[in-house]
Formats: sequence, structure tokens, C-alpha cells
Amino acid sequence: MNHFPEAWGRPRDDIYGSYNASYLPQSRGGLQSHHQPTTHTQQPIVTGTSVLALKFSTGVVIAADNLASYGSLARFTDVHRLKPFNKRAVVGFGGDVSDMQYLDRLLNSLDVEENYTSPTGDAKSDDDRALVDAPLMSAKNLHTYLAKVMYKRRTDFNPLWNALLVCGLDEKDQPFLASADLLGTTFSAPSMATGFGAHLAQPLLRRVAPDEAATQELSKEKAVEAIKECMKVLFYRDARSMNEYSVAVIDQSGVELKEDEKLENQSWAFADRIKGYGTQTV
Amino acid sequence: MASLFQQSMPSTGPGYSFASAPTHHSSSGPRQHAFYPYTDNGGSTLGISGATFTILAGDTRSTSGYNINSRYAPKLFRIGGDGPENEGARIVLSVVGFAADGNALKERLDTMVKMYRYQHGKEISVHACAQRLSHILYGKRFFPYYVTAILGGLDDEGKGALYSYDPVGSYEREQCRAAGAASSLIMPFLDNQVNLKNQYDPASGEGLEKVMRVPEPLPQETVEQLVRDAFTSAVERHIEVGDGLQMMIITKEGVQETFTPLKKD
Amino acid sequence: MVGKDCVAIACDLRLGLQALTVSNNFPKIFSYGSQVHLGLTGLATDVSSVSELFRYKVNMYRLREERDISPQTFANLVSSSLYERRFGPWFVSPVVAGINQTDGKPFICGFDSIGCIDFAKDFIVSGTASDQLFGTCEGLWEPNLGPEDLFETISQALLNAVDRDALSGWGAHVYIIEKDKVTKRLLKGRQD
Repeated sequence: MNHFPEAWGRPRDDIYGSYNASYLPQSRGGLQSHHQPTTHTQQPIVTGTSVLALKFSTGVVIAADNLASYGSLARFTDVHRLKPFNKRAVVGFGGDVSDMQYLDRLLNSLDVEENYTSPTGDAKSDDDRALVDAPLMSAKNLHTYLAKVMYKRRTDFNPLWNALLVCGLDEKDQPFLASADLLGTTFSAPSMATGFGAHLAQPLLRRVAPDEAATQELSKEKAVEAIKECMKVLFYRDARSMNEYSVAVIDQSGVELKEDEKLENQSWAFADRIKGYGTQTV
Repeated sequence: MASLFQQSMPSTGPGYSFASAPTHHSSSGPRQHAFYPYTDNGGSTLGISGATFTILAGDTRSTSGYNINSRYAPKLFRIGGDGPENEGARIVLSVVGFAADGNALKERLDTMVKMYRYQHGKEISVHACAQRLSHILYGKRFFPYYVTAILGGLDDEGKGALYSYDPVGSYEREQCRAAGAASSLIMPFLDNQVNLKNQYDPASGEGLEKVMRVPEPLPQETVEQLVRDAFTSAVERHIEVGDGLQMMIITKEGVQETFTPLKKD
Repeated sequence: MVGKDCVAIACDLRLGLQALTVSNNFPKIFSYGSQVHLGLTGLATDVSSVSELFRYKVNMYRLREERDISPQTFANLVSSSLYERRFGPWFVSPVVAGINQTDGKPFICGFDSIGCIDFAKDFIVSGTASDQLFGTCEGLWEPNLGPEDLFETISQALLNAVDRDALSGWGAHVYIIEKDKVTKRLLKGRQD
């Protein structure tokens, strides 16, 4: 008995001889020289949902939950989708998780490359000291880099299926927040949200920070509170979300990343009042 | 971003499925690519040239579908000049359509203009830059930059120069041009107010005696007001236009930039 | 388009079959009674049928009621008649313009092909050049225009809009409706 189901119901090799693959292209073991076009990932498989971020007076706060879904299945529940790059840049990933892991490896090698010439021990010579003081790659630099990677891949018809938020401090140590997606589209705003968050969280965040001027007045505490409230709203309404999440605050003092936060003060009291699609009152 | 929501339950994931058993081969033809590499980020741009100046304008809203990505995403770029802010530039490019292609196009033209200065030791003329932009666009004839570009500057005689493009590089020097989502709303208004189309001299009599008004280069204040009127009108009737109006005025003194808020609804 | 104690309605004269121009004298405005005017764009057979249908309905109204129909009543008649064909609609987008003889106030409105009414205070546009018309009307129109200024405004709005639409043009008809007077003017426009 052949235990491979794909062979069931097919001509048996011992009776009919092995399968004549000559008409297949060489890439599939055949003899034909005309090959099929290279095919690539055309849809995301394991996915992360929204990423949210908000600028405040001295830095940026960013959050994403810890879930990686396989279609509608909540497959992995401890996937950390915020990746700190250095002490003034963090990247938040939405979309395909394997592409996120590829980009994370890419960023690690970039970081190694950037720091390769820096001495590990004490700076002895003037040259060494110059290297220690060499400017750290800013969040803005990182965003430019990632945007070009994303745009190159879409141009090659081999997209990285992600929506990224890059946040941190720019070269003048001012708060920086910008996005890049699988098409290479980039933009920047006082508050940003990917995926479902663009529909549910962005209106709430824009109420807190309608423009750049408002972010100058916004305290770190208020910003973190707003983001946490949005994570809660997303958990209530986004079916591909969960109640454990990561949140990072990036300011002058560096990156403060917490990867196992839990949603607090949930109240489902609103639920029994919902009729129809929520706007119905009778 | 909308494409992230078009995901369906994966059918060719790990694990066996009879549906994906290799029962058919190359006879079914090559697999079709589901990935569409373009999107439309909305917005509109507008350029008008005068006797001694050129004005380029664009709204600052960036959209994807019904979502507003950002209320400040400029569509106007200084080309050439020095430093990260391109100071001292004398040429302005506006791009509307697919923003990622717009950025890539801007960077290529900017690099090319700077290379020209290194190689020739002088600034590029607007008409040379305009022709080069056409070549850059046509170079991607079979995978185009999905943008409508307008290039503005001053020509060798110091007159306002304005060039408009289609996505594959066909171009023309014009007095005025609207592009983007609300171009169909703005362009006929400009025909009427800038080129004085369908306007006759009231003193010229009736019937066959009528004489058409002759368009002349407009003064700068008039043009600025026309641009504002065109955009406030477009904001009322097009959802992808709004938030802010960015204008760049190119004169012999250089490029002057202004920003006026528009309705955010 | 609404002015001070007056309204205007205008149309181009082209009849086309896709890119082919079939006729250059096909008016799309029809008058019912002294003041009520109906503009119809869309499928030409339906334009004719619908205009005749409303001629019949308005005549029946006049016989029954022994008075002219008001623009408001006519608008509701148009709306309900279109919705009657909800699942097999007339392919037209009508515009109504008139002055109510009771209170002397201008009235305009537009409809989609199944009768949803758009009561606008300023102007209504419809047809293949609607985008262009939105642009020119929004740019040129202002409140409280007198009959002559309103004529100039609506004429410029229409002519410049149809010149940017390949499927419209070949001259225009303009009606200026005042309480006790209707002026119809023919505009030559571009003949290409």
C-alpha cells in the first residue's frame, strides 16, 4: 500500500513504468526548455494585524498585539511584531510574518554592518573616539532604507507583504514616524495605523493629535494612554486581534519596549446595547 | 494598504489537499500573478506660467481608497539645488498618481540634474530637464511610472516655463495644466479663466463680428488667486482633494513656497 | 442654476452613438407648463420616451387639477415615476428647474436614474460632462445673480465644460426662467 495520498488513483510505476515528465519544464524535472515565469508569494500566509503609533512632544509610542494568524486561525500567540533597530528606532510590522522575519534578519545584518567599525572596548586613539561618536542611524535613515527595499521588491513583482511603521528619532533628535507598505508607498503623519487600525484606531488617535502642533503639546503619559485605549477598541472589534500586545516608547532616553502587556479595564458593557450594525437604536 | 485585506484563507498552505494535488501541469498555462503593483493616492496638482514666473500647486492629502493616509504628504519637489532640502533649486516637479512611483521619479530626476551640474559645471536648463524627464518616463514604457508629472521653471529668456506629461513621457509646453483626481474639474475652469476660452470682446459687435478675447500672461497675484479658487472648488466636489494647498512660485529670485489650509472633510 | 428670483437651465445639442456624432441638433430640455423645465441626459430613446411620458402625465394633471403643475410637485412626480422602474430603470439623469408660481421662489433639483432627489440650493449638473460641469459651476457660480449675469455664468460654465468632454458640445440651448418670463437663447459654441 502506498501511503502517499497524492499517488492514490494514479497509474502505478511497477505496471505502467515511471511517469514520463519529458513535456515538463526543466525546473520540474522535465526536458522542455521553455520555462514558466518565476512565481512568488502572491498572498500573505501567517499574518499580523494592526500596528499603531503616535508622536508626542519628545518621542513616539508604538504598539502591536502578539498574535500571528493563519487565515482566521489564531496560530501563534507570542509573536513580537515590534523590532527595535537601535536605541532610537523601532519598526512595527503588519502583514506577512515570514516576510517580517526576513526583514528582521536584513535589519540585523544592516545593524552589524553599521556598527562593524565601532570599537568594542575603550576608545584609545582619536580615530577610535571618532568612531564611538559616529552618528547612529536615525529612524529617518532606517525608513528611507526600508522604503527602498519595499519599492524594489514590488518593482520586481516579488513584494514583501507587509505594512511597516518606522518610528523613533530623526537626525535632529525630533520625533519621527512614517510608514512603508508592500507597494513601496510611504507617508508620514502625527498618528499612524496599519490594517484594521486605519479604520478603527486612526479616528481616535487623530482626536488626540489632529496635527503636528498638537503632538508638541502631548505628554508621553497621554500618548501611551491613547494607544492603549485604541488597542482595546481593536481587540473588541478586530477578529484577528488578541489581548496581549507589545508597546514601545522611543525618546531621548532610548527604547523602552514591553512585549507582554495585557489589556486592562476591559468592559463589554457596551455589547448588550448593540443592535444591528451598532447604529440601530430600536 | 487595502491589498492587505484581500487575503483569503490560504489554500496552498502547509498540509495536504486534494485540490492542490499535481493533477494538471503546464497545459493550464502559466499561473496568473495576483499582485497588482499600483495604487492611486489621489490628490490634484496644477501649474500656471506667467511672463516672469511659474506657479505650481498641489493639495497635500494622501489617500488609499476611502482612507486618508496623511493630511500632509507633499506632491511638489524642488529639483537640483544643494543639501537635503535642495536649497537654491530653480526647477520644481509635481507628481500625482501613485505616490511611490512619484517619489522614485523625483529621486531619479533630482540625481540626474545634480549629475548634470557635476559633469558640465553649469545648471541644467528647464527645457533640457523637461526632455530628460520625458526620456526617464518613456524608459519605463512597458512598466510605467503611474504618475502625471508637471515640471515648472524659467526658460533661457526668464519667461515662465511649464511642461506637462502623461505617464509614458509624452510632453508639451503649456500655459496652464491641471492633473490628478480633480483635473477634469479644474481644467475647464482654467481654459476659461487663463486662456479666456469662449470669451468675446463685448465691444466687438454681434454674430460674425464677434472677436475672441486674446489671452495674455496674467499677473502673479491673479494667478495665485485663481489657483486658490480652483482648489477650493475642487475640494467641495472631490473627496480625494483637501487638507492643505502647497504652492511653489518660481521667479528669478528662486523658489518661494507657501501653504494654505484647505477643508479637512 | 439658481439666481436672484430666477433660475437657468441649459443643455448641449449633441446626440452621439459612442464616438460617432449622429445629430447636432438634439435638445435635451423640455418644458411643461409655463415655468417647469426638465433636462434629460442619458440613453436617447429613454430621453424621448421619458419626456413624452411626462408630457402625458403633466397634461393629465392639468386636466384633473385645472392648474399648472408646480416645480416641487413635478419633481416628486419625476421621482416616483422613476422609482416605479426601480429594477429596470430609464437610463436618464433628469434635472428640474422652475419657479414656484405661488411663492415666486426659484426651484431646482436633480435625480439619479431611479429617482433619488438631490435638492440643491446652487446648481445641478448631469451627463457625460458632469465632472467638468462640477468644476466650472463651483468656480463660476455665486449667490444672487440677476437674470443677465446668471445667463452669462451658466453659458460659460456649460460651454467650457463641454469643450473638455469629447462626448458633448455642438452648441447649446439656455433657458432663463423668471416669474413671468422665460427667455430661450441658442449658443453656437464650438462645432467640432
